[in-house]
Amino acid sequence: MYRYDEFDERFVRERVAQFRGQVERRIDGSLSEDEFKPLRLKNGLYLQLHAYMLRIAVPYGTLNSRQLRQLAHIAETYDKGYGHFTTRQNLQFNWPKLKDVPDILGLLADVEMHCIQTSGNCIRNVTSDQFAGVAADEVEDPRPTAELIRQWSSLHPEFVWLPRKFKIAVTGASHDRAAIKVHDIGLKLKRDAAGAVGYEVIVGGGLGRTPMIGKVIREFLPKDELLAYLEAVMRVYNSEGRRDNKFKARVKILVHETGEEEFRARVEEEYARLDGPTINAPDEEVRRIAAYFAPPAYATLPETSAVLDAARAADPALDRFVAQNGFAHKQPGYIALTIALKEIGAVPGDMSAAQMRAFADLAETYSFDEFRVTHSQNLVLPHVRKDDVPAVFAALKAAGLASANAGLITDIIACPGLDYCALATAKSIPIAQAIAKTFADEKRQAAIGELPIKISGCINACGHHHVGAIGILGLEKGGRENYQITVGGDASEHAALGERLGPGIDAEDVPAAIEAIVETYLAEREGGESFIETVRRAGIEPFKAGFASFLDDRAPASEAAE
Amino acid sequence: MTLITEDGAAEDRFTRADTLEAALAAEGPVLVPLPVAADYLAKRPGAETGISVPGATSIDEIRPHLAAAALVAVEFPGFSDGRGFSLARKIRREGFAGTLRASGPLIADQFADALACGFTEVELPETMANRQPVQQWLAAKETMSVHYQTGYGTEPSILQQRLTARKGATR
Amino acid sequence: MAKDHRAGSKVRGDKLPAILMASHLIEGDTVFLGKAGWTRDPSAARIAHDAETAAAMEAEGKAAAAANAVIDPYLVPVDLSEAGLPIARHFRDAMRQKGPSVHPDMGKQAEFAPLE
Repeated sequence: MYRYDEFDERFVRERVAQFRGQVERRIDGSLSEDEFKPLRLKNGLYLQLHAYMLRIAVPYGTLNSRQLRQLAHIAETYDKGYGHFTTRQNLQFNWPKLKDVPDILGLLADVEMHCIQTSGNCIRNVTSDQFAGVAADEVEDPRPTAELIRQWSSLHPEFVWLPRKFKIAVTGASHDRAAIKVHDIGLKLKRDAAGAVGYEVIVGGGLGRTPMIGKVIREFLPKDELLAYLEAVMRVYNSEGRRDNKFKARVKILVHETGEEEFRARVEEEYARLDGPTINAPDEEVRRIAAYFAPPAYATLPETSAVLDAARAADPALDRFVAQNGFAHKQPGYIALTIALKEIGAVPGDMSAAQMRAFADLAETYSFDEFRVTHSQNLVLPHVRKDDVPAVFAALKAAGLASANAGLITDIIACPGLDYCALATAKSIPIAQAIAKTFADEKRQAAIGELPIKISGCINACGHHHVGAIGILGLEKGGRENYQITVGGDASEHAALGERLGPGIDAEDVPAAIEAIVETYLAEREGGESFIETVRRAGIEPFKAGFASFLDDRAPASEAAE
Repeated sequence: MTLITEDGAAEDRFTRADTLEAALAAEGPVLVPLPVAADYLAKRPGAETGISVPGATSIDEIRPHLAAAALVAVEFPGFSDGRGFSLARKIRREGFAGTLRASGPLIADQFADALACGFTEVELPETMANRQPVQQWLAAKETMSVHYQTGYGTEPSILQQRLTARKGATR
Repeated sequence: MAKDHRAGSKVRGDKLPAILMASHLIEGDTVFLGKAGWTRDPSAARIAHDAETAAAMEAEGKAAAAANAVIDPYLVPVDLSEAGLPIARHFRDAMRQKGPSVHPDMGKQAEFAPLE
């Protein structure tokens, strides 16, 4: 993984000192709250319902054991002993004090981490495929591109005061695990007819209040032109994005209102005017960064492992874990393992300091000292020898991290919701917990198969509900929490937005409603179809009908109860 | 109003005049809104003139007036409205070498970025200047000594410094 | 959203009784205007039973925000428990009085006696 050089080090240290000064000037009144708020947000510091919340950048979801141990230390020293992994591959602490934040930033800088631009109207932490460098379907590893963008976007003099937040995602694989079509900019590494590597550039996707699928504005951008082209897109957006209405300020609205053709023309016009050779990273620099992501020193191993096969045959739990949480590694004899932070009844994405330390040891011993954070609020050990899987599984079990439910109905994404968030309109985590308990039976989960449920506690859609195969949106209606359910969302290369099944329902009715939707799927499914494949083929109508009859059946019961 | 350059507080030599009549009546260099600029320069050809433009203005509207302007003041409606930063870049790209002023309720933390985008000075409402004295602006300018982006400001970027360091190492 | 249920500067009768809630600038903790100054204890919140008291408390909150002590003070309509303690009517404000529902071991609920 990437390591800071003296320049990165100085940059992050100076940023810590800068924020320390900003905190001092807030406390002495030089800065008003209106002025300080965007400054603290650009450094990941929110004020939530009960306390400040600090969002730490995990660039493209990559961490090492030393960093995770430091996060455990911060969790115990300055927080309440745990952290929360988010849908942006970041980590949040829910209880820091303003006066402690500069010291926390100093501890982060000690392990080459920061909170730069994890919030605010600027270019946010860049995200990527959690199986980068692992997946066999990769044109090229997306991480060097992501790191180049991390550096280029950090404290950019021109693009720190954008109309609204701006999220960039990169993938190098044909199967999209980075949701590039629902980002402000999505980049897909590809080859042209001559075999040269470049990017497909997608602009104007996004979730939130007005979800949209991004438009391809450049079929093929030569790789060495990336930064200049990004600058052209950003300059058009910074100049022309709407600032009169916060809800219409994202670039997706600009692309939509301007029209795809006209927007493309404006970007190309700006691109023709700017000084590309100056802006673009020199080839030497691109190669310097890429060298950090060279494959680790894999051992030469046979594809199959007799040790693992025998252990799987002897231990059904291990067998289920590998079948469900294993991901094929391009290197023979290795496997990537998803560690689902989704124990039944737990808070999705939460990890205790003790679990962080146990997991750091595993990453260090068994995965070349590296692991990944996924946008599903899970972790990945990317390079585990198949021979070592039984030992890893045993250690995960001891740490309470061996849930064999990756991708299943209990592997639920949920934003913090009204339990923590100042913007939330309804609770989110308790809904996830209730659904997970309803479907706790492992055999039942296996029979249902892959079914990503995504829950947001407000319209801003941090829980990505629009692209959940089942999406749940919590709103306030008549002084009560009310939940709208959608079906058919998909964040992959088949990107699609979910469609609402009917009127919103009360929190206590959500688990039974999900059961009704699952029943419809099981009745409609043909062959080995997954849930989303059935929705794609059969359409939304059977699900609407099933939901309507669920509402009818429930009505007499709830009337009787009143 | 307080005027701050990278050397500290400065005196504003320009008088703001919102109408042609007021501009013609003023003594010394005037700062006029873009729509008044052509008429004023027709009456006072060669006069040292400043042109005031909102941050949302298109560069196409400004371009014809740049050759005759000694100063362009980009108006920021609020500190969080970043359009002025991109407009400054576009004005400099046209070859404008005069004074480029950021005018409005900016905060000290934006000073370094404003200079990097091509501004030469900031004109601050008095209420802001009282809370954020000039020393804070000069200190804020120095907090970040390195940046990644090439083509902003006068110092070499981190990417350029890395190249230089490597060349030095291989020599 | 948050602002919808906040009482305006003119305190209407249906927004009463009310307490004043804010966030502490340096700590970030939820605080309540008490009998003398700000308190972290939800049961020690001063209760406005009439519009005049509520307006005076609101003014006190604004002054504390201007003095960089608290952030975002606002009046919270409450019902009174049998013991006379203020219980926020809106579920969002009630969450701030207690702490996260998913972590009964954290926040006000872990530190102070329940509002009963």
